[in-house]
Amino acid sequence: MSNKEIKNSQADIEAVSSDELSDRRAFFKKAALSVGALAGTSLLANEAAKGDDPFIMHHVKWGQKLGDPVTKNRYGVPSAYEHNVLRRNTRLLASGNFQASIAVTPIHESMGIITPNGLFFSRSHGGVAHVDPNEYRLMIHGLLEKPIVLTLDQLKKYPSVTRTHFIECPANGGQEWRGPQFNSLQFAKGFMSCAEWTGVYLKDILKDLGVKPEAKWILAEGSDNSEMGRTIPMDKVMDDAMIVYGQNGEALRPEQGYPVRILLPGWEGNLCVKWLKRIKLSDEPFYAKEETSKYTALKPSGKAIQHFYANEVNSTVTSPSPEIPWKDLKKGELVEIEGLAWSGMGTITGVDISFDGGNSYVAANLKGLVLPKCWTRWSYTYKYEGKRIVLASRAMDDAGYIQPTIDQETLVTGIEAVYHRNGIETWEVLKDGTVNHIQLRSTLKRDENGNVVIDKEA
Amino acid sequence: MLKINKLIISASIAASAALLMTACNSGATASGAAHSGATAAQTAYANGKAVIDGGVIYPVVNGKTADYVVDMQAENTTFDYGRTPTANELAAWNTDVTPHKAPPAGSGSVEDGEMLYEDQCVMCHGDFGSGGGGYPSLAKGKGSNLKKTLTNQRFDPNADGPTRVFGSYWPHASTMWWYIHDGMPHPKSKSLSIDETYALTAYMLNINEIEVDGQVADQDFVLDQDNFSKIVMPNVDGFEPKIDGPEGVENVRKYYADNTNFGGQKVNPSERCMKDCLEPTAKEVKISGTGISDFLPPISTVRDLPVEEGAVVPGAADYEVSCAVCHGAAGMGAPVVGDKAAWAAVAEKGPEAILANSINGLNAMPPRGGTDLSDAKLKDIVNYMINASK
Repeated sequence: MSNKEIKNSQADIEAVSSDELSDRRAFFKKAALSVGALAGTSLLANEAAKGDDPFIMHHVKWGQKLGDPVTKNRYGVPSAYEHNVLRRNTRLLASGNFQASIAVTPIHESMGIITPNGLFFSRSHGGVAHVDPNEYRLMIHGLLEKPIVLTLDQLKKYPSVTRTHFIECPANGGQEWRGPQFNSLQFAKGFMSCAEWTGVYLKDILKDLGVKPEAKWILAEGSDNSEMGRTIPMDKVMDDAMIVYGQNGEALRPEQGYPVRILLPGWEGNLCVKWLKRIKLSDEPFYAKEETSKYTALKPSGKAIQHFYANEVNSTVTSPSPEIPWKDLKKGELVEIEGLAWSGMGTITGVDISFDGGNSYVAANLKGLVLPKCWTRWSYTYKYEGKRIVLASRAMDDAGYIQPTIDQETLVTGIEAVYHRNGIETWEVLKDGTVNHIQLRSTLKRDENGNVVIDKEA
Repeated sequence: MLKINKLIISASIAASAALLMTACNSGATASGAAHSGATAAQTAYANGKAVIDGGVIYPVVNGKTADYVVDMQAENTTFDYGRTPTANELAAWNTDVTPHKAPPAGSGSVEDGEMLYEDQCVMCHGDFGSGGGGYPSLAKGKGSNLKKTLTNQRFDPNADGPTRVFGSYWPHASTMWWYIHDGMPHPKSKSLSIDETYALTAYMLNINEIEVDGQVADQDFVLDQDNFSKIVMPNVDGFEPKIDGPEGVENVRKYYADNTNFGGQKVNPSERCMKDCLEPTAKEVKISGTGISDFLPPISTVRDLPVEEGAVVPGAADYEVSCAVCHGAAGMGAPVVGDKAAWAAVAEKGPEAILANSINGLNAMPPRGGTDLSDAKLKDIVNYMINASK
């Protein structure tokens, strides 16, 4: 058989649908039949019949030719085979032509607790701005003795601080207040990402500027065409608010506010203003557009929560997922159920897992780095029983919070809040390994006093 | 690891237990401290006040905060970088307009505002602010009437939801003035004058039938710096906690110290529910139909080589970024790419005239469609739009 024929045979083997496979031996038989029929040779068929893997028995195609020179891809890119690992968007969540919109992270493919910069979720209110770092200026003024202007080089002169934190859009899961809508982990929970950020604590810049005691708030304002701005209390500024320019060891990506954004660990992504141009200290809040018209959570009383800062304790199963279901599992086989937990109010202290939709729980295991306001990995090794289960995860943090059931949460906030939904997520895993997003919830109604109660009749 | 007691607590008992828990003790260590070696979490700042968001902080103790080692030399040093901004620089950027900082002097009428709106805003925000193309609605009728919808909850999927537009929801008109002036219109923001901003804000008050100084802003209304403070937004008291004045921050602190305000569940880890945790009425709810599956690009987890992209069509990419916002959707007043009849009519003008219109602007379209694209690129775009509509 010529090299070319072998190559063709291999291409044919790759084309065999993995759905049709039950185990390795059947795979080789199938491959051999397919190859044998087309190539008219019994060589591979014989190997496969013996249980030999053709990808072991023959030289692989990349193993017999020169690879790329190191001069190719001066900035590296993922393997071409990874081309489906992408941020995705939906027309449901877009103004116009995807400029005031969101593209979300494929968390079904995420590994560990770091999101690569190219997959970090992207949300903007007037498109992604492209800032010339040479023309970049940051102004800090208002209720301080000494207002300043910094260039990017001057900002980077402050001793740097590096911290790992998630950023979450408070609308993560916000399309599912009234019921499940996305049969996708990426869209149900992917409005968030986690990175290692480098910059300077804002409080360290302010040390020299003579902050006046009447300063209670700051305005953080972006330089993009929407001048996205938010009010932030000084309490956060003097705790852990950072001015960041580095993300996972390189400059921020434009989608993350290049060259500079403010990072408020654990708080709404929208508060972490990108393309930051101005910080103003004030004795009164600012009522910017994105803290009144949006990013306010309407309760059943008709009153809306404003200044809803922290993303509360939350978690989800990430494997299996609707995107990557369980395949080819045999009854009794061990399989890892993996997930993420996070809290904007502190550090994850534990995660429980349920197999009956959240009615009963056992403790899962945390693993890896467990850091404040950071994605935390959890795991549970499960013996596959070949029957339908309904997975639910429930996280706790060191601020004393635990994830609410959907009923517990909606009885307080109703179902029109849009933001800050952290109720327990459930994932139905069918006998064949297929995963569907479902919810476990009661039907709500108003009682005669207008209070939201569970409808016992429904 | 945490010790698990398999206690059975019904959700209602858990909720009332949570009510009784005080959120913080001055300087107290939070329950469930993370793990050995890390600095313990605190529910209060050094001044004894509760953490503002209801969460915890990690003070620097023995050179560490949580698991991070702190550069104590830098921590104890003050750095003096940058320069003082000039008075003109401060004035140029200090453009926020808030309930506590009026807009600059000027004025504008509803009449002028309506003309500006028809010229520069209607293509995205629709007739009379009705919305369109995915952009927000600005008015749905009389704001004070629509405010009553804010208690609507769609427990019944067929019921009407709350209407959250400027007149029914926004607490302050200053937000509108500020956003129009600094953020609108998106393709060429910061291009409206002070008087134009007053005029557009006046038109917003008019279409939402908002009262100013006791009178609904009618067709003859003129907004200026003086009467701006007399605008009465119907939902000014619709938000909690109260953030204005000397007690504003303290109100926020109190609000998040009580988890029942925002639906947070507090628990002693050893007493968390491990059995019978769901309400007996809870049922499985599945996605209705296919749910939302309009994913771009479609979900795939296949590991194969990508299909080669087709030849690049000049103008196509620039069209998508700069022109499709209006020319890509019906109802924006612009000829929609792909609409053969509309573009046959356009094509009759001849390519030179079409290019000239794209450079100079036409009807609602600003010059160069509000972009800074070159003539050559506009020519490519025009050719692309014509060819894509044949």
